[in-house]
Amino acid sequence: MTDRRTFLAGVAGAGVVGGGAWVATNGLPGATPTTTVETVDARGSTAGEQAVPVPGEVTLVDLFATWCAPCEAQMNSLVSIHEAFGDRVRFVSVTNERFGNGFTRDDLREWWVGHEGNWTLGADPESRLQEALGAGGIPYLVVADADGRITWRHGGLASEASIRRALEGALDG
Amino acid sequence: MRRRRFLRSVGATGAAGGLAGLAGCVGTFGGNPNTTLGKPSGPGADGDYPYPTWGEEMPDVRFQNPLAGEAVSLADTGRPTFVTFFFTNCMTVCPGLIGALRNVQTDAVNEGYADAVRFLPVTFDPERDDGERFRAYAEKMNVSLDAGDWRFLRPESVAAAEEKINGNFGIGFEKQPAEDGNYMYNHLALVLLVNGEGYVERAYTGPSPNPTTFVEDLAKLRK
Repeated sequence: MTDRRTFLAGVAGAGVVGGGAWVATNGLPGATPTTTVETVDARGSTAGEQAVPVPGEVTLVDLFATWCAPCEAQMNSLVSIHEAFGDRVRFVSVTNERFGNGFTRDDLREWWVGHEGNWTLGADPESRLQEALGAGGIPYLVVADADGRITWRHGGLASEASIRRALEGALDG
Repeated sequence: MRRRRFLRSVGATGAAGGLAGLAGCVGTFGGNPNTTLGKPSGPGADGDYPYPTWGEEMPDVRFQNPLAGEAVSLADTGRPTFVTFFFTNCMTVCPGLIGALRNVQTDAVNEGYADAVRFLPVTFDPERDDGERFRAYAEKMNVSLDAGDWRFLRPESVAAAEEKINGNFGIGFEKQPAEDGNYMYNHLALVLLVNGEGYVERAYTGPSPNPTTFVEDLAKLRK
């Protein structure tokens, strides 16, 4: 209950700050507004755009950065979890690092391959998704059910067991 | 009320030269002649804070820039400046602060205004953070030491860190022993946007600042 209240407050706040063409609600009660991010051509990912959370699908959103040491540890868990859930859950990892100034899409791809990422990789240089999800730091994980409702969120390094439970819960719901 | 609060804050921090800014601190129609940005709503707008907030004069403290062998003032900047406090061994909050400023630096480089902004991240861990550490940290964080006037700063001693940083900016950093015999710090996450005249335009708190907000606020100061 507390989680839900926090979540609702977070969404209300995000609606004010993040309003604009890139933020849209899918209209379901309790659903979080989706944010469209650029997707990067990388292993398991193609260049384009993706609404997050992915409408109509259970989604795991992973906010990270290439300089973030705990995010590397988080990737180890996600790779193993993706093997088990990748056919039923959409995985989306998103960094808010801006390209340029010594950081390129090739650097991001290199990091991604080096950490065995094999799902949708997104870039959010204006931190819109971070804002919309109310993420207070990274790594930050969010699970949304197929109706776009956030069912679980975790700031900081999350255990593999807790992520698996969260995904099973969202799939059952 | 504001004036009294400010006086108390100056008294508490012992900020030298703070009185010079008093005349301009009480503006008309809710504005402030020393700031370009309007009064913020929410946190940082009113009340007693251990750090300088909107319209207050930046404490004129100096730190070493070990990569250039110079002393740098946080107040005498001449251009819009972002100031934050961190340490390079920090795993969570500080990379978020530095990463956010790095995103602003990248915007400045990409959009061609790198000469109109300055970044002054100050470590409170002078025992470990020196020029070599700063250079490696810049590499890791994709910070350019040659663009956007980015200068990593350090106090000259542990005592100076306590006096200058905790004393003037209320960062409240406190050493915490880690399991491996190393140490970390508890500390406030603070980013200050100071205008070219040395007055605070914004005091952003929280571990995950939004660089887009920084870019937008900075754009108003550059006009």
